[in-house]
Amino acid sequence: MTATTEARSPIPAPRSPRNRRTTRTNYELYGWVFMRASGVLLLVLIFGHLFMNLIDGDGISAIDFGFVAGKWASPLWQVWDLLMLWLAMIHGTNGVRTIINDYAERTGTRVVLKSALYLAFTVTVVLGTLVIFTFDPCPPGSPADLLPSFCTA
Amino acid sequence: MQTHQYDVVIVGAGGAGMRAALESSTRARTAVISKLYPTRSHTGAAQGGMCAALANVEDDNWEWHTFDTVKGGDYLVDQDAAEVMAKEAIDAVLDLEKMGLPFNRTPDGLIDQRRFGGHTRNHGEAAVRRSCYAADRTGHMILQTLYQQCVKQDVEFFNEFYVLDVLLTDDLSTGDVPDGQPVRVSGVVAYDLASGEIHVFRAKSVVFATGGAGKIYKTTSNAHTLTGDGMALALRRGIPLEDMEFFQFHPTGLAGLGILLSEAARGEGAILRNSEGERFMERYAPTIKDLAPRDIVARSMANEVREGRGAGPNKDYVLLDLTHLEPAHIDAKLPDITEFARTYLGIEPYTEPVPVYPTAHYAMGGIPTTIDAEVLRNNTDVIGGLFAAGEVACVSVHGSNRLGTNSLLDINVFGKRAGISAAAYAATADWVDLPQEPAAAVVGEIERMRDAAAGERVSDLRRALQESMDANAQVFRTAESLTAALTDIRTLQKRYRSVGVQDKGKQFNTDLLEALELGFLLDLAEVVVVGALAREESRGGHFREDFPDRDDAAFMKHTMAYRRPSAAEPGETEIRLDHKPVTVTRYQPMERKY
Amino acid sequence: MTTVLETTGHATPEPAAEVGAIPSFDVTLRIRRFLPDTPEAEAYWEEFTVTAHGTDRVLDAMHKVKWEVDGSLTFRRSCAHGICGSDAMRINGRNRLACKTLLKDLDIKKPITIEPIKGLPVIKDLVVDMEPFFASYREIMPFLITNGNEPTRERRQSAEQRERYDDTTKCILCAACTSSCPVFWTDGQYFGPAAIVNAHRFIFDSRDEGAAQRLEILNDREGVWRCRTVFNCTEACPRGIEVTKAIQEVKRAMITRAF
Repeated sequence: MTATTEARSPIPAPRSPRNRRTTRTNYELYGWVFMRASGVLLLVLIFGHLFMNLIDGDGISAIDFGFVAGKWASPLWQVWDLLMLWLAMIHGTNGVRTIINDYAERTGTRVVLKSALYLAFTVTVVLGTLVIFTFDPCPPGSPADLLPSFCTA
Repeated sequence: MQTHQYDVVIVGAGGAGMRAALESSTRARTAVISKLYPTRSHTGAAQGGMCAALANVEDDNWEWHTFDTVKGGDYLVDQDAAEVMAKEAIDAVLDLEKMGLPFNRTPDGLIDQRRFGGHTRNHGEAAVRRSCYAADRTGHMILQTLYQQCVKQDVEFFNEFYVLDVLLTDDLSTGDVPDGQPVRVSGVVAYDLASGEIHVFRAKSVVFATGGAGKIYKTTSNAHTLTGDGMALALRRGIPLEDMEFFQFHPTGLAGLGILLSEAARGEGAILRNSEGERFMERYAPTIKDLAPRDIVARSMANEVREGRGAGPNKDYVLLDLTHLEPAHIDAKLPDITEFARTYLGIEPYTEPVPVYPTAHYAMGGIPTTIDAEVLRNNTDVIGGLFAAGEVACVSVHGSNRLGTNSLLDINVFGKRAGISAAAYAATADWVDLPQEPAAAVVGEIERMRDAAAGERVSDLRRALQESMDANAQVFRTAESLTAALTDIRTLQKRYRSVGVQDKGKQFNTDLLEALELGFLLDLAEVVVVGALAREESRGGHFREDFPDRDDAAFMKHTMAYRRPSAAEPGETEIRLDHKPVTVTRYQPMERKY
Repeated sequence: MTTVLETTGHATPEPAAEVGAIPSFDVTLRIRRFLPDTPEAEAYWEEFTVTAHGTDRVLDAMHKVKWEVDGSLTFRRSCAHGICGSDAMRINGRNRLACKTLLKDLDIKKPITIEPIKGLPVIKDLVVDMEPFFASYREIMPFLITNGNEPTRERRQSAEQRERYDDTTKCILCAACTSSCPVFWTDGQYFGPAAIVNAHRFIFDSRDEGAAQRLEILNDREGVWRCRTVFNCTEACPRGIEVTKAIQEVKRAMITRAF
């Protein structure tokens, strides 16, 4: 006489008891501070970058190989872009790491996702850094009109 | 079945139980068995404060506090016990402060104090500020603080274990054990709610701190779980219950719901008014008006309603008026109770008066104990190793009417004493053997209930009991109404024998436990009513319309109720009443005027 | 198939049954059931329809089901007015105390969904295993820590110092906050809002000298830094504690300490 029953579905399995390994380091604290500090710095770096590339001078129409090569010939822009690369990658990777921690329920899933994340991070950062420092603004045999003005080969 | 062995077993983890545990666990191997998680205990619902003559805000001393307690209890208080309580109150409050309790503070940083019903300066001259408080959450803070200290001391808890029997070396229930013969406790039998398993705890000392039995009434401030388990177990094992006819009705329960609104509201200046807006307490207690003791205020309110001056569409409640107080003051001192009014009645206490009516609140009576919390099995003999403290016990510091705040004091003072006494007893006593098959009685009863085919419904019987008690044994009582209640109870006790439960499972079977609790309620209601019928006078919380005056010549004595085999009907039991003299030290009974 | 029951709880003319007078109405409860003793123990939904009154709470309706329809319906409850913290459950998707949620404040045209709080193992129906919750609470050392000799009288504390930690003294350990936190739902390793609230209560108590130890504990990988300021906890708290704010204050105390 009671009531309607429906939709049998498995109850979430009871969890294994709490087995927290204590980590008495300031790692998470520094991580938390880093996210905020790098966030503020990235705002400056990214908007500076956008302004220089898209608005300053002839704006977007000025961007070509020569423009990029010209910027990376200057130590200021090398440091700027390097900082932007590292900070953005660490900031983003740490953000995704916390998302994996928050949403991946099984340890196995976490390990796989985090390994993929760290691999992507390493490849991007190494390649990016290499490009910034080993970039040759005046590759030999290139048409002169594509090169920056200081290439006088 | 599992068996455990501890020096001290404490039953109940409210204020008294945990206060006892803090003392005994440092001295002896202690276990605390509780039917709830400790922080769920009803100590947490206490609001207004805990009185102690600290004299932080105005002149005060513990002797005045003793006098107020004795007078408040209408001279049925054992004055040696009241003196102990008032004297040790000061240390009890300071102990709690040192444990971290966040009391409200004076501008100097001392514990702040406020007025409370029946607490006066210099033997009744005027209301005194004696109640130490933490907003209107004093009980909550005490419960949390005691639990915090238990965590600190690593006290061993058995949570959600129901104690269903207390084991003694002799069977007292027949009344055949002669006075003077030593009787000892050997342990308790408990039911683990989560697994449905029976656990036997062997112990040298057992402390009962199981709280009250407000659920014998329908309109009550008490929790659903306050079913008088400890009192009923003692009664069934032949231990007497003292002064059970005295039940306190708190004046200001939310009308219709019974949810408590602290006396602190009146301590902070709130006023009771009838439908004509009259401050009617001026007529009943000209000196301290709204801050008269609870029995007087509750009776005055009920009288206003009876004489047609009740407020509301049915003229069945009075009004608690806070509208003249500053909202900021209300928020600082009475945040919770104003929230109750808003949540449950949709009333805004800043601007509207709150409907209130008396609600069953506190059992003054209980298991008789000495001032060292030892349980008495008659007027003089103690049961070796058995102790009781808190609402379950009757020391008697409350007499026929407890003063507001004295319950929080009682649990701290006598909880501490019980813990110390229990550990001291365990340190010198040897082990006594458990009886053969210690759990047989409990297992038998559980099996019977679980296996019973669809029988009487627990909720039907409980509702009938509660409604009869509300109608017949509340603020106003007569021989006629009490006889009606007794007839109802006896009928319900018979029907209870065929009670059945629907839930046949082993794990977390709360249906089964509610059935067992109903058995406790029925037994206790009988004691309350039998005691009330026999006490043909009016004193404190017990008011007989057919005997409206206090009769010191005939009734200046404690009632001791024993459950014994019935002489008339073999196989049945009956309540036999005896008496115990009141200890009088300094204060001779006087007329009680406020 | 549903059953409608007459209210018996208000059968007699009660003192002030008319308060906030709202005529009786029918409500349907849609309750998540789980009976561990049955052979194929699986969770399922069950609907009950009962008659209720204006001042009735969700707990009253559940009691009516338990007492008059199905005695096996299992839930914890004690004080029934929001003080003991026994009956936290998920009502219409929000964590609340059943005794503090009035039926008339919910949309009773639709069934009221009642589930156990999330993130803790279900034992039976709405009863969950609270042990992991209390384990976290115990870990943050929830007791006053002091050094040196005890004073004879009380420790002094100004009204302002007392006010500093007032909000977090209100906690009743009902677990409504912790079990509303998405971070806690994931793997239950996060300390959770309730433990942090209780640490806050002592960290900001002028009498306490254990703040450094507690901050050290909550500096853990599973400590305050896992808080994403979702604010579910603040919304869930039946005592109106600003839980997320308390967590942020603990974070701030850690940063001030570190730099």
